Amino acid sequence: MESDTQLLDRYAAGEESAFEELVRRHQKTIYDLAYRMLENHADAADMAQKTFVQAFLHHRSFKRESSFRTWLYQIGLNLCRNALRDRARLAHEDVEEVTLTAPHDTFAEVATAELKDRLGEAIRALPTRQREALVLRVYHNHAFAEIGTIMSCSEGTAKANYHHAVDKLRRVLVAGEGLP
Amino acid sequence: MTCSEIKEFTVPYLELDLEPARVQEITIHLDRCAQCRVEMEAVRQVLVRVKGVTVPDPGDQFWSEFPGKVRQELARAQIKGQSDVTPLRKPVSAHSWLRTSMWPMALAASVLLFIGAWSLKGLVGQGLVQAPTEQTVVQTPQGSQDLPHPTDADLEAYWDDDPDTVLVEMAARLDQRTVDRLFGDI
Repeated sequence: MESDTQLLDRYAAGEESAFEELVRRHQKTIYDLAYRMLENHADAADMAQKTFVQAFLHHRSFKRESSFRTWLYQIGLNLCRNALRDRARLAHEDVEEVTLTAPHDTFAEVATAELKDRLGEAIRALPTRQREALVLRVYHNHAFAEIGTIMSCSEGTAKANYHHAVDKLRRVLVAGEGLP
Repeated sequence: MTCSEIKEFTVPYLELDLEPARVQEITIHLDRCAQCRVEMEAVRQVLVRVKGVTVPDPGDQFWSEFPGKVRQELARAQIKGQSDVTPLRKPVSAHSWLRTSMWPMALAASVLLFIGAWSLKGLVGQGLVQAPTEQTVVQTPQGSQDLPHPTDADLEAYWDDDPDTVLVEMAARLDQRTVDRLFGDI
């Protein structure tokens, strides 16, 4: 199987089939990341699309110091951060409007509604960086070194963000359920 | 190991992200410390539950159409990017036309004024025109009514004697035409 960089080279040379192969290879990963950060399908689909558009639009500036996938993660997370910032600003400006257009609950698949709400709220309440570290670690199984690269921070900072996130979630669940 | 040290390693212990020697140390501690076991179990349950949160699959149709949508959006962005670099020529508004046409008109007016003043001075010097007296300034100058209007043949005849005056006359005619053309478009 061709590597991502080989496909990118082919795309740069004008081969359109390489474009489609690269998108198909990473579309689910980037959509999953966007969904876990933005919590609804419409925003996640839009953000995933924008991530690929930005990547291909600026593919010449990809320095290949990291993998193409890591680069996609970086672009995707940046776009999600901007979207969350815009959402927070809107919430600040007009609370009622945001309530009406609030995204669907991310955690519809969780068996217990009560637990779903509590866990969802707890994850939603995490600071963005902690949430990013949690998503990249728990759902995308990245090593902390790579999480640091994606989040543009050190491995230690990525680890600390993740541990803080888990600790906060533990406290919330312990307080709500009487966990051990 | 102390209980506070164990806390630091709880998550990596559960994720099997530690060296074997460290794992053994923690395991020994957990066997002896009930409080740390409780803490460890709480974190394990958090990780299990968080891990259990799934993202709904948008379906095969979404995935099959996705690359095409990206391609469309990319093409749109590329066109927009090109237009940002070389913007399309905008239609010229009346205001901007006036603004860009103003300087040649101002230049033409300045040249006319200069030529007029210069020619008047030359004619006065040659005695063809009387210098304005107090009376002529207040009243209609009689002398100007008596001045002949030179034809093209006259100008040709005067050329050898007084080319400067002929040039002034020609310039005055030319400038009048230019002014007519410029203002005729407005």
